[in-house]
Amino acid sequence: MKAKITMTISIACIALILTLVMFTQFKTVDETDITAIETMRETELRTELASWKEKYEEVRTTIEERESKIKEYEDELLNDANTSSILENEVKESEAYLGYTSLKGQGIIVTLKDNDIYNIEYQDLLRLINELNNAGAEAISINDERIVSMSEVTMVNNRIILVNAKRISGPYTVKAIGDKKYFESALSIKGGYIDEIKAAGKDIEYVTDDNVIVPAYDDTEKRELKYAREYIESEE
Amino acid sequence: MSKIRNLKISLLLGIMCMFLTLGIAIQINTVKNSTTTVGKTLVENELRDSTLRWKQRYEEAYAELEDKEEELNSLREQVASKDESYGGLTNKLEQYNLLLGNTELIGKGIIITLKDGDSDKVKGYATDYIVHDGDILEVVNALKNAGAEAISVNGQRIISNTGISCVGNVITINGEKVGVPYEIQAIGLTSQLYGSVTMPGGYLELLENAGVQVDVEQVEKETIIIPRYNGIYKFNYATIYE
Repeated sequence: MKAKITMTISIACIALILTLVMFTQFKTVDETDITAIETMRETELRTELASWKEKYEEVRTTIEERESKIKEYEDELLNDANTSSILENEVKESEAYLGYTSLKGQGIIVTLKDNDIYNIEYQDLLRLINELNNAGAEAISINDERIVSMSEVTMVNNRIILVNAKRISGPYTVKAIGDKKYFESALSIKGGYIDEIKAAGKDIEYVTDDNVIVPAYDDTEKRELKYAREYIESEE
Repeated sequence: MSKIRNLKISLLLGIMCMFLTLGIAIQINTVKNSTTTVGKTLVENELRDSTLRWKQRYEEAYAELEDKEEELNSLREQVASKDESYGGLTNKLEQYNLLLGNTELIGKGIIITLKDGDSDKVKGYATDYIVHDGDILEVVNALKNAGAEAISVNGQRIISNTGISCVGNVITINGEKVGVPYEIQAIGLTSQLYGSVTMPGGYLELLENAGVQVDVEQVEKETIIIPRYNGIYKFNYATIYE
């Protein structure tokens, strides 16, 4: 008799535990479904994947470049040469990236003009630079002002446009070096930059060219860092 | 007496067993259903895995690149120590790397934080109080105009050819996704940066009036750290023109 009661109780207990386990199981299934919905979709993932691959390749080629430079330096140290052409070349290369040299290459020349009704505003130029950068521009200038990292495009007195703190006036010629076909499609895409400018009643023209020349930045001494210095991790 | 009791127990057990089987059957069904959605997401899972793998590979390669650059730097110093005239070149190169964004920078300045407005509190259209790519572009431009020496947005260093764009409803800077809140750091003369961007009629005021949550913090101590540019300078089309 006693044995029967213990058996019943133990069975009941087991059944209770089983039911509990099942309910937690139901819950987890529910939750995993939600996270599955929340995460990215296929097309998004594909572009993400492609961009990481591209970045990886880019880093790999740069590593190879650095390695060959390291070898050059090592050779130079071994040979005890008198001139450091590598160092000079590196300085030159950096100056090119900083915008201190004129550059030439394929690209696009966009001209924005004031017309009888509408004036070109600084936002139009700021947005154009950004569009060109999004399309992979390697160098950009407005009239003769080279766009460098801290170049601003502003307007004073509601009509004078300043770039690099210098006054520029219309027609505004924006030159960019990069993939000319990519520039063209990026700007002239339906509902894109050109459509928007035209819809606002403003005049815009562009021409692609294999030999676009972008002038050098000439205020190099202005780019001294007064408030920023290199952060060395051991500082803190 | 004992027969009735036995019957009761078996009946109870039988009912329990039935419930259990039912539960199991339901469970199996749900799992089956979810496997069909899993089937759909199977491709996505694979993609997710390989995306993570490639990202990891990229990060490893980037670490390797940093090692190479360190090695290159020490070699440069060795070359420079051979001849005094080279010292000028290495100093120049170091200075250039700071300007190019190839190093982390530290200094004083301001931190601007932009957040989408609270839809419960702000009246008007959502497009007005949501932060757009164009808004970040304007604020960064205003900071440049105020004399900022270095700027970053959510860890992305602003360089000469940084593009700020919007893909779907995600903002990307230097091709990398950034999310709300947008933290814009700038190193420079704090009072000048602050005075310039908070000027009446300025862009920040415009944003605030539209319902965007704007916060500007003045940092007088040298505690702002601006990360290095995590891309690579490379010309595929441009050549030096002399």
